[in-house]
Amino acid sequence: MAWKVFLFVLMTLVCIAGITFPIVREPVTWYDFPLIPGLEENAKIIFFHVPTAWLATIAFLMATLYSIKYLRKKDLDDDVKAYTAAQIGMIFCVLATVTGSVWAKFAWGSFWNWDPRETSIFALLLIYGALFALRSAVDGDEKRATLSSVYSIIAFVTVPFFIFIMPRIMKGLHPGSADDTNAGPVVDFKMNQNMQVVFYLSLIAFTILYFWMWNVGYRSQIIKDKLQKQIN
Amino acid sequence: MKAAFALLKKDLASEVRTRYAINSLGMFIVVVVSVILFSIGDEKITDYLTGGLFWVVVFFTSMSGLSRAFVSEEERGTTLTLQLIARPESIYSGKFFFNVALIFSMNLIIALLFSFFFEMFIFKNILLFVCAFIIGNIGVAASSTIIAAIISKAGSKGTLYPVLAFPILLPLILTLIELTKQSMDGNSISESSVELAVLFCYDVVMVASAYLLFDFIWKD
Amino acid sequence: MEQFFSQNAIYIVLIIVLLVWFGIFGFLFSLDKRLKAIENDTKGVKK
Repeated sequence: MAWKVFLFVLMTLVCIAGITFPIVREPVTWYDFPLIPGLEENAKIIFFHVPTAWLATIAFLMATLYSIKYLRKKDLDDDVKAYTAAQIGMIFCVLATVTGSVWAKFAWGSFWNWDPRETSIFALLLIYGALFALRSAVDGDEKRATLSSVYSIIAFVTVPFFIFIMPRIMKGLHPGSADDTNAGPVVDFKMNQNMQVVFYLSLIAFTILYFWMWNVGYRSQIIKDKLQKQIN
Repeated sequence: MKAAFALLKKDLASEVRTRYAINSLGMFIVVVVSVILFSIGDEKITDYLTGGLFWVVVFFTSMSGLSRAFVSEEERGTTLTLQLIARPESIYSGKFFFNVALIFSMNLIIALLFSFFFEMFIFKNILLFVCAFIIGNIGVAASSTIIAAIISKAGSKGTLYPVLAFPILLPLILTLIELTKQSMDGNSISESSVELAVLFCYDVVMVASAYLLFDFIWKD
Repeated sequence: MEQFFSQNAIYIVLIIVLLVWFGIFGFLFSLDKRLKAIENDTKGVKK
């Protein structure tokens, strides 16, 4: 119960700080954000776009962990949990793609230009899509659970290639790429103390929100399955 | 290991008897390459584009050819017999070796056709391309074998295969295209060692996870 | 008041975002409560 209040307060604070704190050339007071050359006012996206992309990855990690657990214990509830995690991950993945694309229009001049980051989020979308396609193609609960677990584990071992290796060895415009000189590795150097604090707070808030959504999602799915079994 | 080679031998023997791959996949390659040639017409295309097209043809050929590995067993109803006489690991190895052989012969044909028909398909550093070609083909074979195993147990077999395989193969294909460009520019092997290392990691990770997970697919 | 908001449109954005967040929070909260009630009900049915 207390964590719900905590989430409420935290997210409200993040919204207020992230949207209204001014970006100035020379940060003086505690609420000033520094000006990052090449990003300027666009830099505020970091408080809302990065957490969604982060959640898309976390959700995928959760789906994989519960898939492994399913393969070990053969408990159908674990499959439901993995499935719900993937569902919510899909939502956040779409959100990250759309917000990133809108931002790219104003920061880089076009909605989509196959930057390595854009390629990797697109691949993540494809993986989620393939997972749902596979689930709808198999009949039989246990078979579906096994096949989708195996597929999500295999897909997960390729994810590090997308998220961590490719954007860093390939050239790109996204902050944090290999040849990024003007905007630098944003998290480490160009953000000042209070910007970092707000950024991490927003990561925490979004993560809690994700777990709540996931919790509600899988509980309702389990009840639905249980009721269906009683009726049949 | 013995069972794996026996399975490989059996697949090769049935291949020689039916000539499925030689006939249909060979024709598929010819058709795809000629479609590309027709659509290009008299245009001069750049060397980078030829390199990209090469991997596109490789991807679609392996999509249509490699899915047969387990589907053919399901169709002939021999899955149960296989489950009885051999351990899952040796079955995966047998199918994996067969797919490696298949993909190498297919891609050699594609490469020959490309170097014959496209004048821009020239490599300044042929050794780098050969390295990328060998490591890449093993990676394609490893991941498409395990996807083929998943597909053989699922419903709609034909359409689902490229859908499932594409995201898994994407890092491999992208790195391969990058390496092809570099070997066309004449980079030395040590200059592109990062990309080669990524390919190698992909192969190791894929083969290892496929061996671990094949049990679960095969047994139900 | 009106002039202040027309010059600092960012506060309008803030108010809208906060309203959306309150809506999502309220929705999730009530959904959670309802779900808990259903869970208790089904537990009773089983026993």
